[in-house]
Amino acid sequence: MASAPAPVPPPPSWDLEVDLVAVGSGLGGLSAAIAAHDRGLRVSVLEKAPRLGGVSGFGGGEVFVPNHHKMRELGIADSDEAGRAYFQFLSAGFADPTLQATLLANMKPAVEYMEKEAGVRWIAVEGLPDYYYSDAPGSHAGGRYLSVDLFDGKSLGEWQQKTYPMTPHVPPGALHREMYAWGGLACVTQWDFELIGQRVANDQRSFGPGMMGWFVKAAIVDRGIPAFVSTPARGLVVDGGAVVGVRAERDGRPFFVRARRGVVLSVGGYDWNRELARQFESMPDWNSACPPHLHGDHLVMAGEIGAAIGAVPPTDLALFYGYHIPGEESDGAPLHRSSWECGCPHALWVNRAGKRFCDESFYKDYQPRLRHWDGQTQSMPNLPPFLIFDQNYRDRYPLGSFMPGQPLPPELVVQADSPRALAEQLGIDADELERTLERFNEHARRGEDPDFGKGSRAWSVRLTGDQSYPNPCVGPVERAPFYGVRLVPVSVGVNSHGLRTDEHGRVQHLRGGSIGGLYAVGNSAALLDMGGGYQSGTSNMRAITWGWIAGRHAAGAV
Amino acid sequence: MAEASYTTTTRLPVESIWAFVQDMDNWAHFVMGYQSHEKRSDTESRWTLKGDLGVLSRSLTFEVLITEWRAPSQVRFTLRGSNEPMSGEGAFTIESTATAAAAEPAAPAAKSIVARWLEALARWFLGLVGGRAEREAPTRATAGESLSTMQFQLRLDPGGPMAPMVNAMITPLLLPAAEQLADKILAHLEALPAGASEGEPR
Repeated sequence: MASAPAPVPPPPSWDLEVDLVAVGSGLGGLSAAIAAHDRGLRVSVLEKAPRLGGVSGFGGGEVFVPNHHKMRELGIADSDEAGRAYFQFLSAGFADPTLQATLLANMKPAVEYMEKEAGVRWIAVEGLPDYYYSDAPGSHAGGRYLSVDLFDGKSLGEWQQKTYPMTPHVPPGALHREMYAWGGLACVTQWDFELIGQRVANDQRSFGPGMMGWFVKAAIVDRGIPAFVSTPARGLVVDGGAVVGVRAERDGRPFFVRARRGVVLSVGGYDWNRELARQFESMPDWNSACPPHLHGDHLVMAGEIGAAIGAVPPTDLALFYGYHIPGEESDGAPLHRSSWECGCPHALWVNRAGKRFCDESFYKDYQPRLRHWDGQTQSMPNLPPFLIFDQNYRDRYPLGSFMPGQPLPPELVVQADSPRALAEQLGIDADELERTLERFNEHARRGEDPDFGKGSRAWSVRLTGDQSYPNPCVGPVERAPFYGVRLVPVSVGVNSHGLRTDEHGRVQHLRGGSIGGLYAVGNSAALLDMGGGYQSGTSNMRAITWGWIAGRHAAGAV
Repeated sequence: MAEASYTTTTRLPVESIWAFVQDMDNWAHFVMGYQSHEKRSDTESRWTLKGDLGVLSRSLTFEVLITEWRAPSQVRFTLRGSNEPMSGEGAFTIESTATAAAAEPAAPAAKSIVARWLEALARWFLGLVGGRAEREAPTRATAGESLSTMQFQLRLDPGGPMAPMVNAMITPLLLPAAEQLADKILAHLEALPAGASEGEPR
């Protein structure tokens, strides 16, 4: 990133003058742009990447909103009170009460607005339960997730090629209900790829790319909001103590955009900024499943003018462990995949000592255990974890994009005829691995896991389970050859630190009070509204909600 | 199954084109996504290409076997994916043709923006509807000149349960890949000084 004196003074002349500029074209930036435009503001969008959509276009496209309008249409019972209780459970006492109350009060109006006014076609994902169903107060058996209907990429016109048509993390062209009806992630070989192939050929998008298709169409195509790709923001222009614009870079030259009513920072997290990740995440290594555009620009630019940084406990965030398939890249950088294989039958995780340490099917259980610090040995005993699976797994389930029967790259996957030989190749305690497998298999043959409860969460069963098994997440690891993968941390762009914001999305100053003309939304804003908890779909929900709030506030509607 | 066929013409004689294309080392780097190649025998080679779907690119390794060698006009080959369930076949064909027709207009030195846009649209459409894309480039010669045609054909058959999806993904890429290879070879040869050549016929 180019360094420059800060704050940036106003230029002699502006290259573009608008009321509000959204820095970042993910859900947060485009929601702010749509809301502000509809309130009469002139808006523009700057995007660092060569395509619009941000991290939102890379994910599964789930939006978690208790008691949303589609649940009511389907007759699925829920209540705001139950939703509030569930969020309070998730936050575990770490949330800012004002921010959480604002989030909960605005999430439903925001997603409804995007449907009624912006044409986003939401679908309720039936049967996908809350993470902590049924033991958490207010938890729900299924229906709180929203996803989108198929989106026709051709309707984007010139922007069709400047958006993400698919994400590398989920096969394209399927709806959530179809994915589960076809057997879920584990049973991807049973998916209807004839239908998917037809949809891909017609550029019918789903999941995150589909969701962002709807938002790009609403903002850029239908509303004509100017958007500039490959145009990174480099600094905030300050005048009279308030942010009045952005110094961006376009075609290698400065590009000054005046924003009379506000700048909305919606640039995601800092996955690809090694220094920030090292400082903030307290992990020995850091990799990302996201495209390589998340450099923490919000923290750098706003930090230069005295913005306050907020943090939530990192132990419970969406940190995964996974791997890099040799040769795989996205936008020119190595692509990492989070490993959900550990949630399937015939697979488990062990540490270097050859011991299991978690419910591998529920990442909320394994995250804090991965971060476990042993003060007696001054080490993190569960790092790195090793994915262990057998030939029964290989015959049934994929590893990343490698289908059953397809050769696995030896640079990634170690193969051996016995657990002992596998352990020796991976550097695991062989005696302990044999004991671990013996105990695990004894119970797994009955579909049980008394040690860690693998497969005991309805959400896990739905996501990675094979429904043909008594316990859809558990099967013995006993049939040679055996396979092992040394895993590395893989972030999905949801980081523990972000800009501290108020109930209008305004960035706070280190000395207190708001910085005039500066908003932060989505993953650029600290998760103080969520506190210590996380549930898939809440990042997208936060982005839409806070973008909508910030855009309206900048327009004077709040 | 995805396939593409691209035919282009040149004033260059068949022999000089053949002298160049007979050695894969001469043109390997013109292949779309080229990473490396290794000759294992007169007929066998191993190629590593970067397959780029925009949001995701990955290294693909193919074992290529030459099945027919008819100097100086045709090479046919088969290919088999080493790390992907994919097979296929292709051919280079170089032929001497009649002189350019008197009524046939000379190709412009550079295609207009509109022409390039229409070509891109046609490629996209062909990719969407058929799984087979064909294109014949404008003649690169003026009336009365001797012409050679070079045709590059490629067919890929993805395997495995995801084959229909992979097929849909790669179909739009094949014709541009064929075009790039053929056009770059000819552009390279046409840029050589008169009388210069690379390689000797075998």
